[in-house]
Amino acid sequence: MSPDLESITDTGNKISRRAQITGTANITLGGKTVIQSDVVLRGDLHRLPQRKEDGTMERTPTAISIGRYTVISSGCVLRPPGRNSGGTWRYYGMKVGDNVFVGPNTILSSASISSHVHIGASCTLGDFSIINSNVKILPGTVVPALMVVPPGVVLGGQPARVVGELGEGWGGGGNGVGGGEEAWTEGGELRELVRAIR
Amino acid sequence: MAQQFPYTYYACCINASSSASLVQKRSSHTTTADEEDEDRTFDPRSPRANYSLYPLEHLLYCDDCQQIRCPRCYTEEIVAWYCPSCLFDVPNTQVRTEGNRCQRNCYNCPICTSPLQVNPLEHSSHLAPESSNGASYFLGCPYCNWSSLDIGVEFAKHTGITAQLAKLKTARQSQAKKEREERAENTDSNDNNALNERPTRDDLFSNLKSFYKDALSSANPVNPLSFDPTLYNSPPSVTRLMNLYAPPSVKRAKAAKPTPMREAHSTSEGLLPLSPVDEDMSIARMAQAGWDSLSSTAQRSQQQHPTTKFVQDLWPAQTRLLTRRAKRCATCRHILTKPDSKISSTRYRIRILALDKVPRLSIRALSALHTPHPSFPISVSSTAATAPRFEYENLRPGVMVQFLLTLHNPLFEPIRVTLGTPAVTPGKLASRVTVLCPQFEVGANTDVWDEALNSSTTLSSKGKMQPGDGPVQAEAGKVWERGRNWTSVVVEIVPGFPGGAPTGIVPRTAEEEEELDEEDTVVEVPVFVRFEYEYEHPDAAVFEKMREEEGARVKEVPEMGRQTREVAFWTVLGVGRVAGR
Repeated sequence: MSPDLESITDTGNKISRRAQITGTANITLGGKTVIQSDVVLRGDLHRLPQRKEDGTMERTPTAISIGRYTVISSGCVLRPPGRNSGGTWRYYGMKVGDNVFVGPNTILSSASISSHVHIGASCTLGDFSIINSNVKILPGTVVPALMVVPPGVVLGGQPARVVGELGEGWGGGGNGVGGGEEAWTEGGELRELVRAIR
Repeated sequence: MAQQFPYTYYACCINASSSASLVQKRSSHTTTADEEDEDRTFDPRSPRANYSLYPLEHLLYCDDCQQIRCPRCYTEEIVAWYCPSCLFDVPNTQVRTEGNRCQRNCYNCPICTSPLQVNPLEHSSHLAPESSNGASYFLGCPYCNWSSLDIGVEFAKHTGITAQLAKLKTARQSQAKKEREERAENTDSNDNNALNERPTRDDLFSNLKSFYKDALSSANPVNPLSFDPTLYNSPPSVTRLMNLYAPPSVKRAKAAKPTPMREAHSTSEGLLPLSPVDEDMSIARMAQAGWDSLSSTAQRSQQQHPTTKFVQDLWPAQTRLLTRRAKRCATCRHILTKPDSKISSTRYRIRILALDKVPRLSIRALSALHTPHPSFPISVSSTAATAPRFEYENLRPGVMVQFLLTLHNPLFEPIRVTLGTPAVTPGKLASRVTVLCPQFEVGANTDVWDEALNSSTTLSSKGKMQPGDGPVQAEAGKVWERGRNWTSVVVEIVPGFPGGAPTGIVPRTAEEEEELDEEDTVVEVPVFVRFEYEYEHPDAAVFEKMREEEGARVKEVPEMGRQTREVAFWTVLGVGRVAGR
């Protein structure tokens, strides 16, 4: 990503100009979040506003909300989950936590992704899947719709299954900076990575 | 899984001290071999090394033993059982009685293992007007679109799936039995009686279980492990007590002679005789339905009865439970990690990681300005994208490569490090290794602000020259670069020739080519790391206080105050792969 293709918002989000973002008003970014090029954010697929009791319409609900220090790599698609309920197609909100890394060309339709989740490249996360915190998803994994992933596991395969458990030290070791070495680790704090991305 | 270069593994249990003690009891001659191991260079190629190398994140540390602890030298205790699908805790008692399966509504697809969902059967009146018995739910797989309707299972309620399924299964089994009886009557075969008596698999299991229970109890009437006090009144228990105090020779003679047990030999005892009629039936079914109707080995292994032959007979599998475990040092029994028993929290009550106690080694090529992190496959900055990448997969044999070995100190005291490497790496690919500065200090892991405030004084690069074109001249005996809590030294590695001799000079024979494994082209350097540091003895402060209170009465200072601690371990650096021919 070259500098002229990126804009930095007031809260420190780094968003590529080559990202395709629709329904900007319905997307919340926590700040210090990176959206790389060719990322598709479908903010237009939101839950329809309900009529309140006093007759006025409520505000348009948030379609996608992303936490702090989260990196969405290039070529990802974030598409809020939807389903047929009562004869009409409805979309529901999508939540991504803090310090989440999403590898390139991954398609996300999860209902929620908690913090400290590392998602590899070219994964598919089905509609309404729920990823708990401290989860590593290996590259190329297909998470079926509606699957609940417990915290602290390694997920892999098509369809996804729990293939292992993360060690106790997962996400640690990123505190020492220097020597030309990167200060970020899988599942750890991604602050330095966000800072390094230009 | 192929590990991406460069990597660092830490060795633990390399002389297998814990297993050696076990071996000692059986044979005395192996102990000498283990003692020899301690002085020898650690060989990452040895078959044993596979079981002792771990990434640093997976290792724990025992403060009392002052050693790294790996899965081979800690024991685990289950803190809690939980279902990975509904994230509900399952009490221990339930696990004991019901087994390690979720008893709620969690099921896995028998075809593809993904979790099944309970779906309402919409427009049931339209699709199946006959089934008006209130059944309106089914289990569906969101991944492969398998549904319980494929095997003809519907549910009346969306809760209590387990109970409903069990009821359906027994109903189905009794129906199958009835059908078989009818068929047996029609065929009028000789083994009519045998077919009529044919029980279901569950019956067979309970028959077999009771048979073995009876056989065991008759074989040894009193369980020697039970400590029921009422048993002491009976004559067998008296003999048992007599046996306990009898001389060992008598006991051994008795233990060596187990009473032979009879095996089950009828259906009432749990034996499943082969029935030709059933086999013929399944063969006919196979011929009719074809290959696709047969279940795969993986699918069968998921089933309660692993002999399920047909996809039609596959039953949804209850989700297996997961556990959270506390870990204890195997030698001193101290707890190393203890997770919160609640599933929702990912915190630990106790967690002593090797990551916080042992310096972290990382290696990279000196010429590579930026090495992309293997698990972060993105280009971080524009300069990094254009910079020449160092090809770790493509090392040239015989050409010296400079690597930068960086040690990070997680401790709050500065450490003195001594590195040791063999001059030539073990294995077929004999690479020459030189650490330019094997002895150095690494600063303490103090506050980050300290570095920021006086960055000009702490950051000093001794052996560093201006990076220019060609190989950089690194001075021997000096560190390359130094920071707050890290120090880098240059390691020069000359990768060996795969197969021993340079290509071109001696043409290799086909046999030699075959001998070379893919693993033999990997350059792995064993490094012995020894570090020592001074630390304040935790009792020293207490002692000082005590001395103040007691006045001059306590004069002699025991071995307290500043003490030196020394820790040593082997690591293996995977620096790359020698280029193929």
